[in-house]
Amino acid sequence: MPQKAFGDKTIWRLYNARFIESLLFLTAISSIVFMLLVFYYLADNGIQTFRSFGVIDLIFGHKWNPYNNLFGMMPLLVNTLLVTTLALFINMLIGIPLAIYLAEYASPGEKGILKPAIDLLNGVPSIIYGLLGVIILVPYLQDSFDMITGRSILAGGIVLGIMFIPFMATICEDALHNVPHEFKEGSMALGATKWQTIRNITLPAASSGISSAIILNVGNIVGETMAVLLVVGNIPKIPTPVVDIFDRGATFTSIIAGQMGEAAAGSHHFHSLFAVGLILLVLVTILSVIADQINIRIKKRFGGY
Amino acid sequence: METSIIQPKDLYGKFLLPSLAFLASALMFLSSILALPIQMDVQLIFKFWEALLLSSAILLSVSAFRAARGNPTSIQMIKDPKKIRFLIVDILLLLTIFLISFAELIDPKFAINFEGLDATFSYEMIYSLIIFASSILIAKDSIDLIYSYHQRGREVLIVLYIRLFAIIAILILGLIFFTILYKGIGAISWEFLSQPHSKLGREGGIVTCIEGTFWAVLIATLVSAPLGIGSGIYLHEYSKSGRISRLVTIAVSCLNGVPSIVYGLFGLALLVPIFGVSLVVGSIILGLMNLPTIILTTQESLKSVPNSLREGSAALGATKWQTVQKIILPSAMSGILTGLIVSVARAAGETAPIMWIVVFTAAPVEKIYGFIPDVTQPVNNLCFHLLQLIYFMGAWNVETNAWGTALVLLGLVLAMNLIAIIIRNHYRKKVSW
Repeated sequence: MPQKAFGDKTIWRLYNARFIESLLFLTAISSIVFMLLVFYYLADNGIQTFRSFGVIDLIFGHKWNPYNNLFGMMPLLVNTLLVTTLALFINMLIGIPLAIYLAEYASPGEKGILKPAIDLLNGVPSIIYGLLGVIILVPYLQDSFDMITGRSILAGGIVLGIMFIPFMATICEDALHNVPHEFKEGSMALGATKWQTIRNITLPAASSGISSAIILNVGNIVGETMAVLLVVGNIPKIPTPVVDIFDRGATFTSIIAGQMGEAAAGSHHFHSLFAVGLILLVLVTILSVIADQINIRIKKRFGGY
Repeated sequence: METSIIQPKDLYGKFLLPSLAFLASALMFLSSILALPIQMDVQLIFKFWEALLLSSAILLSVSAFRAARGNPTSIQMIKDPKKIRFLIVDILLLLTIFLISFAELIDPKFAINFEGLDATFSYEMIYSLIIFASSILIAKDSIDLIYSYHQRGREVLIVLYIRLFAIIAILILGLIFFTILYKGIGAISWEFLSQPHSKLGREGGIVTCIEGTFWAVLIATLVSAPLGIGSGIYLHEYSKSGRISRLVTIAVSCLNGVPSIVYGLFGLALLVPIFGVSLVVGSIILGLMNLPTIILTTQESLKSVPNSLREGSAALGATKWQTVQKIILPSAMSGILTGLIVSVARAAGETAPIMWIVVFTAAPVEKIYGFIPDVTQPVNNLCFHLLQLIYFMGAWNVETNAWGTALVLLGLVLAMNLIAIIIRNHYRKKVSW
C-alpha cells in the first residue's frame, strides 16, 4: 500500500539521508575553504612588504639584511636554485636506477623486502636527516675540502638529495610499472634484449610519469625545511662566483624557519618573511599543477589499457 | 655462428685476462669510493692503485693482442679501426696516470684552490676521483673484450651500473637507519623515557615531549579524520562529476603540495592571534596538513570497492547512506585506516609547521578532570626538542640525548608506518573480490 511505503520512518530516513549528504558536502567544501584561507592569510601578510618596498626591488634586490630593512630576495632565489639543482642531480642519479632495478630486474623475493623498506624510509622525519647532516656530513665536508665551515650549499644539496631518494624511487617505479605489459612483450618478441626494451620502449612510455615525479620532487626539495635549515648555514648572500657551492647560503624555507623566531610580529621583517612564504607557495603550487596536468595526460594516453 | 663459439685456444686471451682486468677495476672502484670516507693511509693506497693501474693496462693490451691474433675473423674490433684506436688511447691514458703517480711528478701536498671558492681540492681527492674514472674505463674495455665488442657487453655493463646504484642507494638508506640505532641505543633507559628534561636538555629525559607529541597528533587526527574521510566519501560516492568535485580535487592537490613551513606561517597569521601559542593551534595545523593525504587515500580505497557491491545493496532497497555505511565503508576500511596511520606518522615527524607554536618546556601537560588535556596551554614536542638539542650542541654536550631523542622519534614513526604496511599487505592478500 502506498501510504505504508511513505510512512514516518521512511520520511525520516529521507531527511536523514539529505542531512548526511549536506554534512558530507560541507566536509568536501572544507578543503577549498582551507586552501583559500592559506592563500589569503599568506597574501594578506606578504603583500604589505611588496607595497612598501616595491616588487622589483624585493625580487631583484641583492641584499637581505633585516636590520637595515633590506629585503632583496635574489640571494634566496640563487641559493634555492643551487641547492635544488644539486639535490635533484644526486636524487636522479641514484633514485632512477633504483626504480628501474625495482621495476624490471628485481626478483619477487627482493621486491618483497625492498619495497616495504623503501616505503618505511619514505617516512623518516626530516629533522633526523638534519641531525645526521650536522653530526656526520658537515664535519666530513669541512675536513675533506678544508673549508671554514662545512655548513654549505653543497651539504644542503647532498642531504636533500639523499632524503628524497625513496620518494623518487617509489614514484618512478610506479610510472615504470604502469607501462602496459603488451609494449614490453612486443619488444621482447621482436628480439630486443631487456635493456634495449627498457631504453627504447619502457622509459619513453614512462617518460611523462618520470617527469611528473621529477617535478613533484622539485616541489618537495624546494619546500623542505628542517634538514636544509640545519646544514646550509642560513646566511643569505649571493655566492661569488655564482656557482660557489662551498659557500654558506639560505634557501626560501631556511630563511623563514631561521628568522621568524626573532622577527617581531607586524614588523617589516615579519611581513617580508611572509612574502618569501607567498613566493614559495605560488612556486610550489605551479609545480604541483604542472605535475597534475602531466598525470591527467598519462591517464588519457594509457586509458585504453 | 663462428663468432659466438669460444674455442679453448683463445679462451685464455679472450676471457681470463680481461676478467682479471675487470677484477682490478672493481678493486679500484671500491677502494676509490671508500678511500675518502674511511681516510685510509695515503701512501699505501697510492702504491696499491699504481700496481692495479699498471697490471690492468698490461692485461688489457695483452688480451687485446692475443684475441686479435688468435682468431681474426671473430673479432669485430679488427673490422672497425675506431674501436682499436679507442682501446689504445684508453691504455695510453692509464699508463700516463701510472707514470705521473709512480715517478711522483706531482707533489703530494699539491692542492687546487680556485679563485673565490671557499674550498680546497687536495691531491688525494683529485687522485681518487681520477682512479674512480679510470676504473670505469677499465671495466668498460675489459667487458667489451670479453664479449668481443658485442651488444651484450653493453647490456652487462648497464645492468651492472643499475645494480650498483641500487645497492648504493640501499646501503645509504640502511646506514642512516643503523647509525641512528647504534648511536641512540646507548641513551635509551627507563629514566630517559620517564623523566622530563632538566638543565636545558643536558640531563633528564623526554617524557614531556612524548606526551606533547601524543596529544598534538591525537587531536590533529580528531580534526582531520572526519573532514578527510567525509570529503573522500562525498567526492567518490555522492558527486561523480561536476564543477564542485573538480574544484575540490584541485584544492586537495594544491594543499598536498603546500610546503609544511607555509602551514606554519598560516598558523602564525590566523590561529595564533585567536588562540595564542597553544596545543590546539599546533593540532589544527597538523590536522590541516594531513587532510589531503587522508582525502586521497580514502578516495583510493573507495575506488577499489567494486561497483557490484553498490548495485547489489541499492537493488535490495538500501538508501545511499545505508549502502555507504553498511557495505562500502567496511570494505574500504583497511585502506582508510592505512592512510590515517601514515598521516599520523607524518604529523608526528613534522617540525617546520609547529616550530613557533610549541615551547621547550619541561612541565607535564596539564589535564582537566585528570585525562582531558588543557588545549590552551603550550606543550613540548619530540621534533622540536630534537631541534633545540641540535642548536645547543655547539654550546654544551647534549649529543647523546639528541641521538636518543632521534631514535625514539624514528622508532615511533617507523613503527606506525610498519603497522600501516602490515595492514595493507594483510588485507591485500585476504580480500579478493
